Amino acid sequence: MDRNEAIKYVLPLILVIAIISAVILLGLASQNPDGFEWSLFDFAGVGEPEGGFEGIWAFLGEGVAVDLLTGIIGIVAILILGYAFFWMTSRKSE
Amino acid sequence: MHVPDGILPIWLLAILYVVSGLMLYISVKRINKRFDDRLVPYMGVLAAVIFAAQLVNFPVPPSSGHLVGSTLLAVMLGPWGGMLIIGMVLFVQALYGDGGLLTYGLNFFNMGVFSCIIGWALALVLFKGLKRITDEKKSVLVSTSIASFITTVLAAFVLGLELLTVPGFGFTALSAITIVHVFIGIGEAVLTFVILLYFVKAKPQVISFLKESEVSEMASVPISVLAPPLMEE
Repeated sequence: MDRNEAIKYVLPLILVIAIISAVILLGLASQNPDGFEWSLFDFAGVGEPEGGFEGIWAFLGEGVAVDLLTGIIGIVAILILGYAFFWMTSRKSE
Repeated sequence: MHVPDGILPIWLLAILYVVSGLMLYISVKRINKRFDDRLVPYMGVLAAVIFAAQLVNFPVPPSSGHLVGSTLLAVMLGPWGGMLIIGMVLFVQALYGDGGLLTYGLNFFNMGVFSCIIGWALALVLFKGLKRITDEKKSVLVSTSIASFITTVLAAFVLGLELLTVPGFGFTALSAITIVHVFIGIGEAVLTFVILLYFVKAKPQVISFLKESEVSEMASVPISVLAPPLMEE
């Protein structure tokens, strides 16, 4: 794969990480509940369940730095997972 | 649209776990050895882009929404490849506490199975119609964006139907979740257009609807046997 080809798939990834980082750091992401949460918990008034699994990073607490760090780890993890899975199922070229 | 644990009845979660597991198995079988390894980096990047785009919510007062990406992925890689990427994204998100582990099957059914199949079918029908009046690339951009909007609203309606099993969630709330997703769907359509525009310009080979596609084999759907006019060029 030549350099131009590599740039074509690396570029969107870098761009997306940069945009997401900026949005998280500048606090631009909406803090409103999402459509599902709003309809169920706010509109219908159903009680929100408590004490469930809060995620593998729950021990780090909350904050912009934690969101950014765990977000980037997730992006890299899914990149590796996707690459490995599709590599295994691909038709190998000669 | 990520449902956490502890809300929906276990029988519904169990049924949708089985359905989703079956669809994951079929998806792997459908794509296996049907695409070239040169395209693998793009597929990895697509998965990462979808995960990243789901990290941030855009405001839809009094609510908010984020990209799901099912229709986008289904148009690009076919419904099977789309489902697999959504499956991976939802798995990592479930580990992050966004969407429950017990509700993984339900979340995958709504955002993966249902959204990829409906989004793909709607986009294909629109694409075939639009291609008669404009070029292929404009057709795929417009048809995918419109299909992603409709699919988002339909998926929310399906989630609303599932939520009718929760005491206190009635038909008024079903209307509310559907209506709020009309506005979230507009955001989905815009983001879908922007991401797809990049791939149309940079790598049209990974868009299954286009002539230069190198993923059409992995994107093939048995419906081509049942409805040949829909699939023919």
